[in-house]
Amino acid sequence: MRRHHLLLLVLVALPLLVLPPFLSLGLQNTLVSMLVAALFAVSFNLLMGQGGMLSFGHAAFFGIGAFATLHLMLAVEDGLGVPTPLLPLAGGLAGLGLGLVAGYFATMRAGVYFSLVTLALAELLHTLAPQWDGMFGGEAGMSSMRMPWGGLVFGSVLEVYYLSLAWVALCLLLLWAYTRTPFGRLTLALRDNEQRVRFMGYDTHKARLVVFAVSAMFSGVAGGLLAFSNEVANYTTFGMPVSAQVVLHTFIGGSTVFLGPVVGAAVLTLFAFFVSDLTRSWLLYQGVLFVLVMLYAPLGIGGIVELHLRHMRELRWRALAGPYLGAAVAGLLIAAGFVFVIESLAVLFSSDYAVLRRDAGGLPPFPFLGTEWQPLSPLTWLAPLLAMAAGGWLASRAGRRIAPLWDEARRVHTQGGETA
Amino acid sequence: MAARLAGGTALAMLGLAGLAGAAAAEPLKVGIIEPMSGPDAATGELYVTAARYGLEEINRAGGFNGEPIEILLYDNGGTAAGTVDKFKQAVADGVRVIFQGSSSAAAGQLTADVRKHNLRNPDSRLLYINDGGAALDLTGDKCHFYHFRFQAPAPMLVGPLVEAMSEAGELGTKVYSINQNYSWGRDMETAIRERAGDGGYEVVEATLHDVAKIQDFAPYVARIKAAEPDTVLTGNWSNDLLLLMKATGEAGLDVRFGTAFLDQPGNIANAGETALGHYLASTYNLAAGDEAFPEDYKARTGHYPVYLEPRVVIAARAFGKALEAVDFGGGAIDVTPIALALEGVTLETAMGPVTIRKEDHQAVMPIVVSRVEKGAPYPVDGTDMGFAPVRTIPGPEAVYPVQESCEMQRPG
Amino acid sequence: MLMEFLVVSVLNGAIYGMLLFMVSAGLTLIFGMMGVLNFAHASFYMLGAYIAYTLSALGHFWLGLLLAPVLVGLLGVLVERFLLRRVHAFGHAHELLLTFGLAFIFEELVKLFYGNFPVDYRMPEALRFTAFTVFGTDYPFYRLFIGGTAIAMFALLYLLLSRTRVGLVVRAAERLPQTAEALGHNVPLVFMGVFGTGAALAGLAGGVAGAFFPTSPNMALELGVIVFVVVVVGGLGSLEGSLLASLMIGLFSSFAVGLDWSLAGALDAVGLGGWAREMGGLMTTTLSSIAGSVPFLLMLVVLLLRPAGLMGERS
Repeated sequence: MRRHHLLLLVLVALPLLVLPPFLSLGLQNTLVSMLVAALFAVSFNLLMGQGGMLSFGHAAFFGIGAFATLHLMLAVEDGLGVPTPLLPLAGGLAGLGLGLVAGYFATMRAGVYFSLVTLALAELLHTLAPQWDGMFGGEAGMSSMRMPWGGLVFGSVLEVYYLSLAWVALCLLLLWAYTRTPFGRLTLALRDNEQRVRFMGYDTHKARLVVFAVSAMFSGVAGGLLAFSNEVANYTTFGMPVSAQVVLHTFIGGSTVFLGPVVGAAVLTLFAFFVSDLTRSWLLYQGVLFVLVMLYAPLGIGGIVELHLRHMRELRWRALAGPYLGAAVAGLLIAAGFVFVIESLAVLFSSDYAVLRRDAGGLPPFPFLGTEWQPLSPLTWLAPLLAMAAGGWLASRAGRRIAPLWDEARRVHTQGGETA
Repeated sequence: MAARLAGGTALAMLGLAGLAGAAAAEPLKVGIIEPMSGPDAATGELYVTAARYGLEEINRAGGFNGEPIEILLYDNGGTAAGTVDKFKQAVADGVRVIFQGSSSAAAGQLTADVRKHNLRNPDSRLLYINDGGAALDLTGDKCHFYHFRFQAPAPMLVGPLVEAMSEAGELGTKVYSINQNYSWGRDMETAIRERAGDGGYEVVEATLHDVAKIQDFAPYVARIKAAEPDTVLTGNWSNDLLLLMKATGEAGLDVRFGTAFLDQPGNIANAGETALGHYLASTYNLAAGDEAFPEDYKARTGHYPVYLEPRVVIAARAFGKALEAVDFGGGAIDVTPIALALEGVTLETAMGPVTIRKEDHQAVMPIVVSRVEKGAPYPVDGTDMGFAPVRTIPGPEAVYPVQESCEMQRPG
Repeated sequence: MLMEFLVVSVLNGAIYGMLLFMVSAGLTLIFGMMGVLNFAHASFYMLGAYIAYTLSALGHFWLGLLLAPVLVGLLGVLVERFLLRRVHAFGHAHELLLTFGLAFIFEELVKLFYGNFPVDYRMPEALRFTAFTVFGTDYPFYRLFIGGTAIAMFALLYLLLSRTRVGLVVRAAERLPQTAEALGHNVPLVFMGVFGTGAALAGLAGGVAGAFFPTSPNMALELGVIVFVVVVVGGLGSLEGSLLASLMIGLFSSFAVGLDWSLAGALDAVGLGGWAREMGGLMTTTLSSIAGSVPFLLMLVVLLLRPAGLMGERS
């Protein structure tokens, strides 16, 4: 198991170190956003996956980190002697500070009430920030510039990327180490059975507060990295969409695995990069993906990968290859059919098409994917529906063949565990 | 959609292929950064349509530098972080000119981004055509040589509005100012107070309220009523204007509204008869202009140009005119000569000439004041109401003085 | 003058409060009975408004008001039966996340079909008249109509839950599912019914209120968080509490507009007003200009001091 993890780490880390200089500027930028999102999601998940506390206002700590870093950047512009690479530290300190105050109150509550306290805190900050010019720069926000330091100009994306990579790697390492400490293990116990922890003689409020503050601190570093990379920030950084995005990243990636949120952040950031300029419905696809994961893969992508790694030896890969391929084809068919329907509807209900309709006095064919489609022709709708139906059939067939193979692997795994 | 898809695919390919090799003649790449998803997508859509129309017009006239202009679309989702991301993407795609307008906050960030980029990359500078951001500090504190604003900020609208309304005898002597509590609303309030002397009115009360959060404006109407004004002047837009006017109509309060954004699509339809008789100060009115433009626009985009669209087309046409004066002989493009040419442009529009003020790159645009009337030409929103032009004030009279805070560093 | 301010503010605030109650009643029901914090609730409200708009555009305003709750309720039933029930086993956090994803989807679907701009959903001319005039201000009848619908909704729900067996069964199903099951009650069916009813109430609220406030793809986002505030402040699950909290928030929003209080003003009392005004920023911000953030502050205070809310029975 250890060896797999190490191998995986090398497989991920090596390309991140070596590839970027050969990538396009656009991808380099996306990688920076990805790193920031990954750190933010892992920090968030320290609270959720480890502590069992679902925060709906984590943008507060992310945002405060960004603004604190910008303030420090402005001070550096005016001649303060802080080395440029250390700037995100300000974000971490601010996140820690706000985390201690907000966390003190929030951790008094648990479950849904906890979520609501965090939501209210972030919304409060979001509504007040644009009124507070000196602190948050009004609605236009604040802007600064990275200053050269130690022979580095920090003008290019690559410099920013490598600095972010170093920060994110360091923070992830610290966060991982934290989960291995006795206190980190206590956090897990807090999630699973708070009462027991209390009986063991711990002050659970204090323990939860510590987890909260640590999570807020690293979220602040992530915010600081964003500010460092963007050199601007405004009050929308505190907004609900930011808090929502980190929830999506974490759960699509999988909250039960330490690196799950990283996977979620990476997948969705790349998804946004490639798709957001192609279609206006990309938020819809993102929502559908999230709901599907919630329904069919509550462990998330990371959880599924981890499950496979854990059963690496017991799984009969050769027998699984066929059904897995079938499931992949099924997924592609369903996705293609669904995207076709949505994009066609998007065309049919667009204002451009309304004009065509008025001019033609009926339902003229609509252009999509380089050809013309008849809106009333059964072929237009049958094709995608058939694709989806075929996908569904294939998926259930593959599912029926995969299930027994997994049951067997699990059985072997537990037996192996007992004998070993 | 198909065109969008094609453009998008090309864009994605560029991203993948990395360095786009220099072709024989270098095409000028223009990026349009607007919200096409999220809550502000409605406004973003108009900005994109109009900017594309204007840029494609340049292409029909032969393009630039021996190639058609390449138009790239970027969806910033209406957020600050999205704007920064898409700005970086635009730089990565080799974009040299950016059109953006849908919010002052995004404009504030973008203009700072462009300034920093130009400082760091003197060989590949960018030009930013701001066709919407109205915050005064964009041509004040934040002004720089590569930013051009084709939008009338608060004082440029309030002046003509007050002048025309008072000339028509409909301003009265008591004015209530109600605005949104952020830079634009505060600029409006300041401008309304400053004009009190010239307009011969007294500001009986001034209110600032939350932006896009208030569902029920009845309490505000109660407050307006208590102050007994003749006219309400407001820079409100979107729901904040719509709800305010509806609540006023329903309370049976008889006041005249002077507005800056009444022509936003959906407003007149939603307000209904309540809207009749209210005033609007804007940068264009189809009814006062040449007929060929709206017809051509409709033929190409499917609707008559509304709201901000004519202004964005003016920005694109002025930009096109500047391009005519520059020639790189098919070689590398530098935006500095383009910016210098743009400074000297005089664009004849149906409203009057549009020029650029060299000191702060504010477009000196004529302002037209209109009144909502039944049977006006170009009725809007499928109603029988439209905007009848009352008076056009030439640009030099409408424009505000250059702000002292603008310290523009000129190239060279 | 003061009398006029009081009367008009109360009238305006009460009706806005009633609107908030209409939207949050369904959420209160769902949370109180099932323990599910439905993030998509405001989306049901939006869908109701769009359904009613579609029918009223075809000339059937009243049919729209009827069908909006029916169709949205049906959608709620489907959501419960095929989506929520699937993730029920994973706990409340998972249910909450699922509805959170649904809210995304509903909003984007509405944009897909109806575009980004507000649609022109208006009350019929027959309802567009002045009910009465106070201090020279017309009071539109439709505001009373909104208030009336809310009161009817409250009365009906209250009677249903306290005076009939339905309420008893639902309570039993939530607190002691096994016992209720053993007594021959179909617990899953009860949950489905509760969720459907909650959604239908939001749908009705959308149909009624959408004609008065604009119907746009943003309406769910605009009301989404404030509805949580109502439910929390009132006490999660308490119908009476929601009514009280709705009225409180409505009245507060109405009165805040008329009052130019600021921190600097308050500091005048101790002679520090001048200093505060020099500080600027938050010090000089008037209450009316930040009225939007006060509900969140209220929610925080309630959550921290009395998490059961004003009328809630449990924490």
